Amino acid sequence: MSFEPNLVGFLCNWCSYTGADLAGTARIKYPPNLKVIRVMCSGRVDPNFILEALAHGADGVLVCGCHPGDCHYVEGNYKCQRRLPITRMLLGEMGIDPRRVRLEWVSASEGVRFGQVVSEFTEEIRSLGPLALQEWAFDAAAADAQLAHQGGDHA
Amino acid sequence: MPKVNMTVDGRPITVDEGSYVLQAAEALGIEIPTLCFFKYVKPYAACRICVVEAKNKRGRTRIVTACNYPASEGIEILTRTPRVMAARKLNLEMLMSRCAPMPVLTDLARKLGIDQPRWGTGTDMCILCGLCVRVCDEIVGAQAIGFASRGIERFVTTPFEVDSDACILCGACAALCPTGHIRMEEASDREVVHSEITLGPNAAISVPFRQAVPNAPRIDPEFCVHFRTGGCKVCASVCPKECISHDDVERFEEVEVGTVVLATGYQDFDPTPFKQYGYGRLPNVITSMEFERMNNAAGSTGGKILLENGKEPRAIAILHCIGSRDENAHPYCSRVCCMYALKFAHLVKEKTSAEVYQLYIDLRAFGKGYEEFFHRILEEGVNVIRGKGAEVVSAGRDCQEGSLIVRCEDTLAAKFREIPVDMVVLCTALEANRDAKDVARRFGISVGADGWFIERHPKLGPVSTTTDGIFLAGVCQSPKDIPDTVAQGSGAAAHAMSLMIRGEVEMDGAYAVIDDEVCSGCRLCNDLCPYSAIGFDETKKTSSVNPALCKACGTCAAGCPSGAIRALHFADDQIYAEIEGILS
Amino acid sequence: MRPIVSPKELNDLRDRLRAAHDPNHTWVQLCAGTGCLACNCEPVAAAFRQKIHDEGLEGVVHLKLTGCHGFCERGPLAVIQPQGIFYQRISPDDIEAIIDQTIKHGKVVTKLLYRDPASKTRIEKAEDIPFYKKQVRLVLRSNGHIDPTSIEDYIAFGGYSALAKALTTMEPERIIDEIKRSRLRGRGGGGFPTGAKWETCRNAKEEPKYVICNADEGDPGAFMDRSVLEGNPHSVIEGMIIGAYAIGSHEGYVYVRHEYPLAVKHLTIALDQARELGLLGPNILGSGFAFDIGVSRGGGAFVCGESTALMASLEGKVGEPRAKYVHTVEHGLWDKPSNLNNVETWANVPLVIEHGADWFASIGTEGSKGTKVFALTGKICNTGLVEVPMGITLREILHDIGGGVPGKKKFKAVQTGGPSGGTLIVETRDAKIMRSMEDAGEISPGDAVTSLLDLPVDFDELTQAGSMMGSGGMIVMDQDSCMVDVARYFIHFLIEESCGKCLPCREGLRKLHEILERITKGQGAPEDILTLQEISETLIDTSLCQLGGSAPNPVLSTLRYFRDEYDAHIRDKRCPAGVCRELVGYAITEDCVGDAKCAKVCPTGAITGGPRNLQVIDQSKCIQCDACYQVCTFNAIVRVKRDRAADVQTTARQTWKPVKERTQAEARA
Repeated sequence: MSFEPNLVGFLCNWCSYTGADLAGTARIKYPPNLKVIRVMCSGRVDPNFILEALAHGADGVLVCGCHPGDCHYVEGNYKCQRRLPITRMLLGEMGIDPRRVRLEWVSASEGVRFGQVVSEFTEEIRSLGPLALQEWAFDAAAADAQLAHQGGDHA
Repeated sequence: MPKVNMTVDGRPITVDEGSYVLQAAEALGIEIPTLCFFKYVKPYAACRICVVEAKNKRGRTRIVTACNYPASEGIEILTRTPRVMAARKLNLEMLMSRCAPMPVLTDLARKLGIDQPRWGTGTDMCILCGLCVRVCDEIVGAQAIGFASRGIERFVTTPFEVDSDACILCGACAALCPTGHIRMEEASDREVVHSEITLGPNAAISVPFRQAVPNAPRIDPEFCVHFRTGGCKVCASVCPKECISHDDVERFEEVEVGTVVLATGYQDFDPTPFKQYGYGRLPNVITSMEFERMNNAAGSTGGKILLENGKEPRAIAILHCIGSRDENAHPYCSRVCCMYALKFAHLVKEKTSAEVYQLYIDLRAFGKGYEEFFHRILEEGVNVIRGKGAEVVSAGRDCQEGSLIVRCEDTLAAKFREIPVDMVVLCTALEANRDAKDVARRFGISVGADGWFIERHPKLGPVSTTTDGIFLAGVCQSPKDIPDTVAQGSGAAAHAMSLMIRGEVEMDGAYAVIDDEVCSGCRLCNDLCPYSAIGFDETKKTSSVNPALCKACGTCAAGCPSGAIRALHFADDQIYAEIEGILS
Repeated sequence: MRPIVSPKELNDLRDRLRAAHDPNHTWVQLCAGTGCLACNCEPVAAAFRQKIHDEGLEGVVHLKLTGCHGFCERGPLAVIQPQGIFYQRISPDDIEAIIDQTIKHGKVVTKLLYRDPASKTRIEKAEDIPFYKKQVRLVLRSNGHIDPTSIEDYIAFGGYSALAKALTTMEPERIIDEIKRSRLRGRGGGGFPTGAKWETCRNAKEEPKYVICNADEGDPGAFMDRSVLEGNPHSVIEGMIIGAYAIGSHEGYVYVRHEYPLAVKHLTIALDQARELGLLGPNILGSGFAFDIGVSRGGGAFVCGESTALMASLEGKVGEPRAKYVHTVEHGLWDKPSNLNNVETWANVPLVIEHGADWFASIGTEGSKGTKVFALTGKICNTGLVEVPMGITLREILHDIGGGVPGKKKFKAVQTGGPSGGTLIVETRDAKIMRSMEDAGEISPGDAVTSLLDLPVDFDELTQAGSMMGSGGMIVMDQDSCMVDVARYFIHFLIEESCGKCLPCREGLRKLHEILERITKGQGAPEDILTLQEISETLIDTSLCQLGGSAPNPVLSTLRYFRDEYDAHIRDKRCPAGVCRELVGYAITEDCVGDAKCAKVCPTGAITGGPRNLQVIDQSKCIQCDACYQVCTFNAIVRVKRDRAADVQTTARQTWKPVKERTQAEARA
């Protein structure tokens, strides 16, 4: 039985959420693993949300916003763009593979692209395997084991 | 200006001292004939036709020219004494003996009572009135022509009788010449310039087209004489409302609005890169817009369908889908072309006796009465060929110069055809304006891959956008014809009006709130807000959000290190709850 | 030489110059005006220089090249001073005799003296020659005496003293008053009171003001202004400075016609010299008055003698006149007040200032004061430049001064005023014409007895008679002049000179010429006379300037006085004077002596006969070139109506006798 990744997506209302909608109306096929949380703007995405999601069992978090320059709130996606790399770096320090958090730009007309992004991300997380953070997060020994298992791969 | 009292033919009038007698007579409705007089240049007094008798205060009478004789106190002017009439007649007879019997002379002769000029008429077309020279000097300021030689050898010419660089081809001399001796001539041998889709010959001042808004003339600096030589400005001096200014500069005005309807239209597809059609290379290959303009009665040919050499075509091919439904250009269908192409066919059949070949892929006659119109076209004998025009070539040496051949595959007859025609009309695609992306960004709306603006919902929101208050109308949203555009326009207007009529704007309940107690006054959030909605209270040393400006993007909430900002409806605790819920 | 800064210095200079004049020296005042230059006076001058040098007489005998002496018929000519001996028709070979006999030994060379045809005696002194006797040479007073390229000569002869007087003792208003009281009138043809013109210009409000000298002198046959500028340029300069001072102008121009290179040369030299001496420039004679003069040359257009056309040409524009409803004294050169006067007018000004208005007004008639310079040319014995007081009669000028018509020909008419003037008949048919004028009411009853020849020459009398004094050209015509042809000639001249701007002049002259041409070719129609008069009237009434306005004068005056000639041409196809080629045939009469001079000059070989025989003209070969007529000294060739020529010739054949066989009486006839 192959592992089905549990993915959370933070989609900005104007571009990526609408793009996802378009994927739906255009009957684009993509894996059902992504659970979507709508925010008004990708700039709303607090790094804590990502950590919280991972802590609550998500294997990967996808943040989608408008293409740079197209943000409905002018600059929100730039703010998101600044926060995400730092977040990923911190995750790496904490022993979580940074590839489990992805930032993508999807516009309202890119239904097809949304489908592609979700498909790619799902496969990537599938190949990375489950995170199961809850299990090792509060057990130091299990955490070490996890680290050993990761092979110190926390770029 | 001191005034003087004078009489003309016994009738008294008060005029400015030093003004000319001709104007005084004019004001009294007394006509004095002239040949070399023009209101806007200085009087020349060369034709001597406007001679009158002037008696001054001391009783001395002399014959003077009315156009430049200055009025003085007590002067009595007589405009029709026997002496004056005899002089006018004889002068005109002498002129007519040299010149051709042109209307300006024969009409004046009739007015003066000359039945037959006693020395008959001659052949000269120039009456040496000097109007052309004077207008070129005083109004246009180019000074490109003048008089050469003297006495009976006198004639008007350019310096050394060669083409003058100073001539700016404004045509003022030709316009003023009373005999038509001066003409404007096309310098090349092309009689019709199809790409000249402006209104007639280049006009420096014109209404761009009949439906222009505002429907007022505008000055084109490229052709206006004033911008070329610093002279002229006759328009400003004749305008009774004095509303012409050559010094206008572009200025930017700020208008505060709450709603915007974007109706920025489209641009024509340029077929030049598609060398197989020969546009710009072969003669008589024109776009649909150029054909439309030529067909217009106010266009440069007066509505006639003509080839470049001025003749009527014997056969025309109309090629559909140039740039549309084309993986090398635009994949979409431009929607309007099939119907206007059929209209063209109909017009050609109506105005000329040419054969028409309609080369199409599919005929999209989707609207009210459209299919019926198509059948009418078929009845008119238009040759309808199902097969996109592949290539337009020159007909080759043995054929009449300028002839074309259209190559296509007639898919219904399964034949390859070469059709000889005189003119090819390319139905070019509608494409989004080059700057559509920039316009969209400015208004905060999205634009699709094809460049058309994105509506709120493809089915349910065709006139609104995701940005409140910005509406769409017309082709800028997607290609459509006039009935659809009008419908969409009405819809957009209605939406806009409903917003405006309300008087108040309903604000979204979503905005951000800063908890005074938690806020540390770090002011990081102040610069995060793209709407400058967050201010800082100096006394309280905390930041606060202006809910009217806040658009609820939430960026500040995400950025606050103290967690003091609560983005209503998307608050941290709400999102956490969502996350928990999703992943449980 | 350094500038003169006060009248006293000027006087001192004058005294010094006069003192330097040694009465024991001899001066040969040789005329070097354009007329005598054309008569080859330069070889004469060279011969003088050579001989003076060879004889070692330099320093004692001075050759002075002067301006025109006036007796142009007799050039090259010179006056030997201090004796005042007048030699004429000098050739280089005569120099030896002059030097040896007259200069060394005080003996007269008789053959070089003028021989008066009336008294048949030789006359020694110029003032005794009839040509000079009745002249009153004021403007031309210095012409034969001074070297025009020497300002010292001018000063020594009293020049610039009028200027000194004006600048230092007279206010501008007083100067204008003086000119007004003198009643000096413009000498260019218009005759406008000079003082009034100056006053209007002075009163004009704008600045700067200009004074202009009109030296365009376009009339054919006129050379008065030329001679003044060539022979005494300083007189004009002095007049202009005085005028400028009176008017308040600091800038002046002399507009000279292009065809006067010698005048321009002498004028330029004079201007430079005047500047050098401080008589032109920022501080004239130390008075603080600034004035200078520029020279502008014309481009060869008669119309530029018209004041507004002249000013346009000065400004660098095409020489076309403009309406004169606003006078040039108010708006002239560059639209500023400008005072334009003729050369001769300016030359009179220093005289008026020097000697006073009363003196000037004592010369001349009631309406015309002072003198007038005339260029006497045409069929007259003494052609040349004369200066006479206003009021002298035509008879005195033509007979006494002019010496009558040469050869055995008869006076016919005199043309005054150039193409703008009119032709007056002379003597022979006076009485008949005068009576018809009286009948027509053109002159008062009782005036008919006065011959036109006894008309006093002045502005108003001549105009009343249908001519005008004009600028001074006076052309005498004899029986060999066809009046219709004269009219045609002047119209032809004007066609070429018309600027062409206004319709009546351009088209009217063309029409007039067409008609006159036809008439001279025997293609005239009876209504042509009326048409000529109609066109003339329109030209006078409606022309823009006086070129067109006075163009009909020759036509109208010849019609008035020589109507019968027009009738002969039109009705009879005959030219009474025998001039019009198409109407004339030549025949040799019985007066022929057989010297066959005519046969030798005939270009077509139409004359045959052999020596000592009657020469006969073959009408079919004759081209009416007039050569035989000119060359026959026995007046045996006649010009008759073309179709009569053969008959006359035939008659001659029948009546001709060889000279030896003619009786005394016949021979003398």
